[in-house]
Order: sequence, then structure tokens, then C-alpha cells
Amino acid sequence: MQLNRRQFSLGGAGLLTSLGLMAEASAQSASDYKALVCIFLYGANDHYNTLIPYDVDTHAQYFNIRKGTAVSGTAYEGIALARSWLADTTLSTPLSGGRQMAVNPAMPEIKTLFESGRAAWLLNVGSLVAPTTRTQYDNKSVPLPPKLFSHNDQQAYWQSSAQTEGAQTGWGGRAADLMLSGNGKANLTCVSVNGNALFLSGQTALAGQLSTSGATTVNALRSNSLFGSSSAAAALRTLMTHTPPTLLGAEYTQINRRALDAYDTLVGAIGTSASAAMNGWFATSASNTLSAQLKVVARLIEARAVLGMRRQVFLVGMGGFDLHDNLPSQHPGLLQKLSQASKEFDDAMQGLGMSNQVTSFTASDFGRTLASNGDGSDHGWGSHHLVMGGAVKGKAFYGTAPEIGLTHSQQVGSGRLLPSTSIEQLGAELARWMGVSTSDMPLVLPNSRNFDLYKLGLMTSA
Amino acid sequence: MASASVVALPALQACGGGGASPTPAPQPTGSTQLQLDNMNASRFLAQAAWGGNQAQIDTVRTTGTRAWLQSEMTRPQSQSMKDWLIAKGYNDATVSSNVNGEGGWVNAMWAKLFAGGDAVRQRAVLAWSEIFVVSALGLPISWRNFALANHWENLEKHAFGNFRNLLEAVTLSSAMGTYLNMKGNQKTDPVTGRAPDENYAREVMQLFTIGLYQLNADGSLKLDAAGKPIETYDNNDIQGLARVFTGWNTAPGQDPQGVLATAAYRHGLPMTLNANLHSPEEKRFPGVTIAAGTDGTTSLKIALDTLFNHPNTAPFVCRQLIQRLVTSNPSAAYVGRVASVFANNGQGVRGDLQAVWLAMLLDSEATQTPTAASAGKLREPVVRLVQWGRTFQATSSDGLWSLGHTEADTSLGQMPLLAPSVFNFFRPGYVPPNTALSSQKLVAPELQIATEPTVTGYINYMAGTVNNARNVRADYANELALASTPAALVASLSLLLAAGAVSDANQALIVQAIASMPDGTDAARSNRVYAAVVLVMASADYLIQR
Repeated sequence: MQLNRRQFSLGGAGLLTSLGLMAEASAQSASDYKALVCIFLYGANDHYNTLIPYDVDTHAQYFNIRKGTAVSGTAYEGIALARSWLADTTLSTPLSGGRQMAVNPAMPEIKTLFESGRAAWLLNVGSLVAPTTRTQYDNKSVPLPPKLFSHNDQQAYWQSSAQTEGAQTGWGGRAADLMLSGNGKANLTCVSVNGNALFLSGQTALAGQLSTSGATTVNALRSNSLFGSSSAAAALRTLMTHTPPTLLGAEYTQINRRALDAYDTLVGAIGTSASAAMNGWFATSASNTLSAQLKVVARLIEARAVLGMRRQVFLVGMGGFDLHDNLPSQHPGLLQKLSQASKEFDDAMQGLGMSNQVTSFTASDFGRTLASNGDGSDHGWGSHHLVMGGAVKGKAFYGTAPEIGLTHSQQVGSGRLLPSTSIEQLGAELARWMGVSTSDMPLVLPNSRNFDLYKLGLMTSA
Repeated sequence: MASASVVALPALQACGGGGASPTPAPQPTGSTQLQLDNMNASRFLAQAAWGGNQAQIDTVRTTGTRAWLQSEMTRPQSQSMKDWLIAKGYNDATVSSNVNGEGGWVNAMWAKLFAGGDAVRQRAVLAWSEIFVVSALGLPISWRNFALANHWENLEKHAFGNFRNLLEAVTLSSAMGTYLNMKGNQKTDPVTGRAPDENYAREVMQLFTIGLYQLNADGSLKLDAAGKPIETYDNNDIQGLARVFTGWNTAPGQDPQGVLATAAYRHGLPMTLNANLHSPEEKRFPGVTIAAGTDGTTSLKIALDTLFNHPNTAPFVCRQLIQRLVTSNPSAAYVGRVASVFANNGQGVRGDLQAVWLAMLLDSEATQTPTAASAGKLREPVVRLVQWGRTFQATSSDGLWSLGHTEADTSLGQMPLLAPSVFNFFRPGYVPPNTALSSQKLVAPELQIATEPTVTGYINYMAGTVNNARNVRADYANELALASTPAALVASLSLLLAAGAVSDANQALIVQAIASMPDGTDAARSNRVYAAVVLVMASADYLIQR
């Protein structure tokens, strides 16, 4: 296990704490397994139209700012959802001060998950270097995340915790660094079904990549025949895997090797196609990329014992959320996909008996403005996110509910929310649930020391 | 490098290496013929265009790189994508896919890339399309084919013109106006609180002109007293510039030819201004304050002039062009030399893109084969595919070039005009984590889309293409003639596809495999050629362009 040797060479005292924890865990039953799934909504989801004020007063504040001409065939006036359209998707848990929230009418499955205690909302979470007030923001007396409001940089900040584009490691990958040794296939500790993702790169952990087709390989190598020739197929394998003298070529052949190596393992574990049960759970996977991606994640989780896996971190994602225009016509369809896929994944985890061992959460570049551009919204900062799974203390809101308006002190203009909870505060609770020790947390989330941690209480057990 | 003899290139070195002089001494006529060997000519063709066959290599050797490039840059544009779409009937409003679907643009784009007679211009257009990104994924409009066609045509028209004109044409295009939401953008409404859309203001600065951090003339970061990079703008600047891009919307008018539906025709026109919807407030952003009450046309001119003249723009744009065409990690000196030509073509003109192209491709850092292990760039998957087609003079049996989509990760993982966002398929600053590249602080943009699914998908796609199983079919007459002599076949493919970079050992490996394959029938010889092409194109010696 070359990976482990490398890992130990990196080790500090803190690292060993989590490894020790893993060793302890390995003495426990073979059913010990935990997985974290990040659902990234690329382009910056409009949180104001995802989780919507429903009590009369704050809905009116929201509606008056976003309202406009009724959009025929939709629930929208301007970019606001009229209160009457929200009655079926209200959430029964009240916020303080008698406030009430509803989810977008396109997300009935999320309402169901929430009401059944299998989903929670984390309010106004986002990128921060340290706790920040509006006055500190205005006076620049607290360090701020660089390049706020820039898509690629804030995506990187969410995924890396504390770094922008060019960052080398993500907090999912750094958490995985501490857990590789407990896994039978270290190269499947971190798996993306959505292309390259910073979130999953650790100091040691590499992000394995799968397509929604599951295991894929070079057909000529599988059949041992390139245009009828096994010799040519053998030459192809050599050319793809032999390390050349160039650095770029060496990295490319490394990816080739990872792909070819993973295939045999994967086919043995998850087969070449999904089971009937999987196809049943993920009923929308043919037309819903998120469903198709989560289906691959579920197949890997199903195969955890065959693969000898005990801790895994996954990333799935979908794009199209940067709706400066066409918010009423396009946003509901995206939310519907998220909602259906989330429910399907929950059904699959319950069906596999893995519900308490798998936690998923949404993330996105940033939130958006409350102010309207006409038929869309602009780049913001803090946002509301979902945390889902059997281990989540669901049917609850966490964090601080921001006021609704364009002038209050929890926003920095146009209703761009100044986050009241940091990515690190969310990440620390999820990482601790995965088994990262509190003393190792700075390895996973370097800026976590700037925040009051473990106070949200999202998870049923640490 | 297998038997590559590097011929001395005195004239070229003088062109590129000197740096300060953007107008090098003219090459003495008659002496150019022997300056380039086959491999260097092939290498140059891969940077400037899509590689080439032996005839094109011979032309470059005979003409000389400078004269050839100048001639190619002034070659007339190939048939416009709009005219191609009309010629193929994609203007038919009774076909719903033409009006509301994909109808046509995919085929039109492949036709351009594979068969456009202006190969150098098409290569430049692909590069510009990855900087001025418009994606069909973000065009929820009818007749989007014609919006994309107009975008391509703008890039063609100005690829070798002036950057200022390119910037304005893109800014006012229906495609970009839709994609980044300038179209229909309105001034502040104090009653509702509606604010101007900030999207174009943000991305035109971050991605198209000046970038996020102040740069030195050679593209390196300027640092403050604390050693930190200095941001070029903040969100107040974005809001100031956003006011400039208000009041513009689809142009009026009907096709005088009566060939195009109204919306399709208007996608070909620059947006026009409704003065009533333009912000009357002061517009303040880096380097300028536009006084309150300034009209929309004047405000736009001031804004685009300001961005065009910003000191960042030359190194910011030139570095990305070098990355697209030559190498992922150009030296600061190389960026500085090309950027200086962008700043002044030698005759006091800023933004002269012909001069920029000459400076970029004739620079010694481009013309000399590098020796450092870190050098080069990964060829883009789409460039590999088009290179295959152009090298072997591929044709489309029905003239429709219906290759379809290639963006799936089980295919090439890339498709022009279909990036996931305005940030393109890959970022100029992408660093593959945990690699020798990252430890040496090197970037590798194209590796961002090299994943386990796409690297295997690429081999499968090519294996299903080079055997002429798709609509686009190669002419292998020259290769079939060499099929019975594998060493000659492989050497030829290495020259044409990889500029001779396939190592002796890898050539021997391929030769041995090909020699073991049956011979003697047309079908057998074809299989030898197909296998040899796939093997060369699978080798890292080919994949990394150096």
C-alpha cells in the first residue's frame, strides 16, 4: 500500500489521533461504514427562491422586493413566488419569532424528507475567514475571503475551505487522508461522478472519477483486440500506461493507469449495469443527471463490503444555477431534479439499510441577491443548504435566520447575505461524524480554529 | 525525439528572441526553403493550425513560416456559418428542431472545424471561443443556431483584426447578450429596487480583459507592500460598470432576403440601445468615472476603451492565447514579448491581432523544441479529433458533418460552444493536485478535463472514428501505400500527427504490433492503418504538444 507509506511520511501527532480512532473502529463490527456525499449546485443556487419566507410578514417583505409582472404558466410574479403557491410545501417547524418557511413548490420530496426528520436546513452558511459583522465588513477590519462573488473562486473556497482557484486540496480529501488506511481500495476513498473536483483531493487522497455509466474502460483492451489484433491491443496498453519523460505526459498516463486499474475492481464490485432495485429507486435517472450520479454512488455504497470500504467521500453535481435571467422558467426544473434525486437517494439508502451511515449535503458557489435583475438575481454570498440522511437531526433549522430586506445588517447590499455560519462550522460537524478527531480538525479545516465549533448539533452522534 | 534533426533557424530566432522589436527584419527571399525540416514545419503547423499533411508541410517549408502565416491570416473567410445553415435548410421554420432545438449548429461547427478553407483562422476561432465563451447550454432562446453562428462569425471576422473591435462585436452580439444577460438589462428601478444585472460587467472584466489581479507587463502578479496580489476591482466597480451595460436589446428588422425568420435574422445583428432604459447615474469603475447623464453609446465606448487600454489586458489575453496554441507555462519574458506587441504593433497601434499572432508563433519559445520535462501542453481532445480529420483530408459523405455531440465524459469530454459555464471546459490556472506539476507550481489547463472516464472515452471515440465508421471519413491513400512497410507508416504518422515526437522506443513498439497484423488485402491494410493511427494518437509523445 504505497498510499499508506506516503501518508505516514506526512504524519504528525494529530494525524495519528484519527488513525488511532480508525484502528479502534476497525475492531468494531464489519458493518462500520460512513460516507459523506457533497451535492454541488454549480452556478450559485438562488436560495431566496429555494427556502422561502412563508409567514405573512416576511413573505410580504420578500414578495415586495422580488415581485413584478406575473409570468404566465408559472407560480411567479416577477421573480417572486406568490404565497398561495407555497401552501403545499410549507415546513411545519417554526423559526423563532413566529416565522415560517416553505420550500419551492418544485421540491415536494424535500418537504417530505424534512418532515420525516431526514433532512435539515442550515441557514445563511458561506465563506468566511473569521466571524464577521457588517461593521467589520464595511471597515475591512476582519480578513474576508478573497474574490467574493466570483464563481470559480468561491466554488474553490467552498470545496477547499479557505482557498480560491488554484487550491490544491479540498476538505473532503483532507478528511479522507485520515481514513485511507481503513479502506480496502484506497483509490476509491474519494469518488467524483462529476468530473474533476477540488473537494476530493487530499494531501494523499486522490479523487477517483466515474461516469454515470459506472465502470468504463477502453473497449479494445477489454476485448483484447484493436482492429482484430491482440498485439496492437497490448501495444495500446503499454503506450497508455508507460510513463514518458514529460511531466504532462507522466500525469496523463497516471490517469490512464488509474482508469484501467479501477475498471477490473469496479466491474467485480458493481457489475456492468445497475440492479433492478437500483433502477427502481432511481426512477428519474434517465433524465436527471443528479439522479444518475447518485445512482452510481449508491451502487458503490452497496458494494462497500466487496471493496472493503469503511469511509468514503463522494461528490456529485449539476450546473445551470447562474440564473441572472429566466429564473421563473428555469429554476423550478433544477430544484425538481435536486428534490427528486435526493428522495431517490434516501430511498436507496433506506433500502440498503445504510441510511444512518450516509449523510449528504448541498453546497453551491454562493447565495444570490434578494434584489431582482428583472427576471433573475445576481451574485451573493451566504446561502441556505440542506443536510440529509438518517444520522441528521432533521425536521429542524440550524444557524441563524437572516432578516428579509435590502438594508438590514446581515446583508451587504441588495440582500447579499453576510454568512452567520461558516463552511468550517458545517464541515467540522460532518468531518467529526465521519471520525475525524477534534484535534485533527485543523488539518482538515485550517480556519476552523477561528470559529466556535460543534455548536450546531446537526448530527445525532459524533 | 526520434531522429529529429533540429535545423538552425537563424531568421526565426531573430524574429522571436529579440523581444523589443515587433517588426523584425524581413527574411531574405530564397533562403527560406531550407530553414525548416519536415518536423519543424509540422510542429509549426500544429501550433498555428491543426497540423498538416505532407503537401502542407512542403508549402510551409517553401514559403517560410512568417510569409505563410501572413498569407493564411489574410486568406478570405470560409463560407459563413449562417450561409451554411441556410444552404442546408436549417432556416426552415416548419422544422421545430430548427426553431427550438439543436438543429444545425452542431453540424455547422464541425463543418467549419474540419473543412473550413481558412484553417489558421478556424484554429484561432476555437481559441477565442474558449476565452469569449458562449455555450449553447445557456441560450434558452429560439433560433439559437443563428445566434451561435453569429458568434462564430464575429470571432472569425475579428480573429486577426483588432482586439477592441473583437471586444465590441462580442459584447453587442445577440449570443453573448443572451448568455451573460446584457440583453434586456435595464437601469435601476428605485420603486421596486430592481438593480442592473451585474453578470456581463463581472465576466467582461474577470474573463475577457483584465482579470482579478493587477499584472505586470509580462503577466506576473503585481504585489503590494505586504507581498500580496492586488485586486483589480471590487463589487462597487462591478455595480458601476453594470450600469454601462443597460438599455441594450435585440435589434429590430426583418431579413431583406426573406430567407430567415425574424428572430433568426435578428440574432445576426448587434444589439441596439433603448435610451430610456439606460442608467442615467454616474458609472464608476477602475480607471474611469463616466459622468451622470452620459448616453448609452458614449458610455459603452468609454467602458470598452477603458478595458481595452487597461495595462492588464495585453498580458492577460496574450498569456491565454499562448496557452491555447503553444504551451501551458510560457515564460514571463515570452508573455511580455507578445504583450508588448499587443500594446504596440510597432506602428503605434494597440490590439493588432495579426501582429500578436506573428509575435506569438514566431517567438523563439514557440519555434524551438523545448528540452525541459515541464514544457508543452496537453492537446485538447477536440483539437486531436480535428487534427485527425484535417491531416487525412476527411470528408463528410453527405456534406452534413453529423458527428453529433462529443461532450459526454464517455466521449471526448469536450465540445466547442458547449462549455459547462463561461469558465470554459478548463481554466488557464488549473493545477492538477498532488502531482509533480503542482509541486513545481506549473499549470495544466487541459488536464482539468482529463479524467478516468474521458481518457478512456477518448481512445474509444477515436477507435470508432479513425476506421471511417462515422459520417466523417479520412482519405488514407498515402498511408495505405505504406501499410506493408510498418516502419515507414509509423514514421510518417509520427511526422504528420506528432511532428516526429514519437520516441524511437514507442515507434518500435507500434511497428512491431503493426507488423504482426495480417497484410495482403485491402481490409487488412486498412486495419493496419487504423491501428497505427490509434496507437500514435494514444501515445503521450503525441498527446503532449511540445
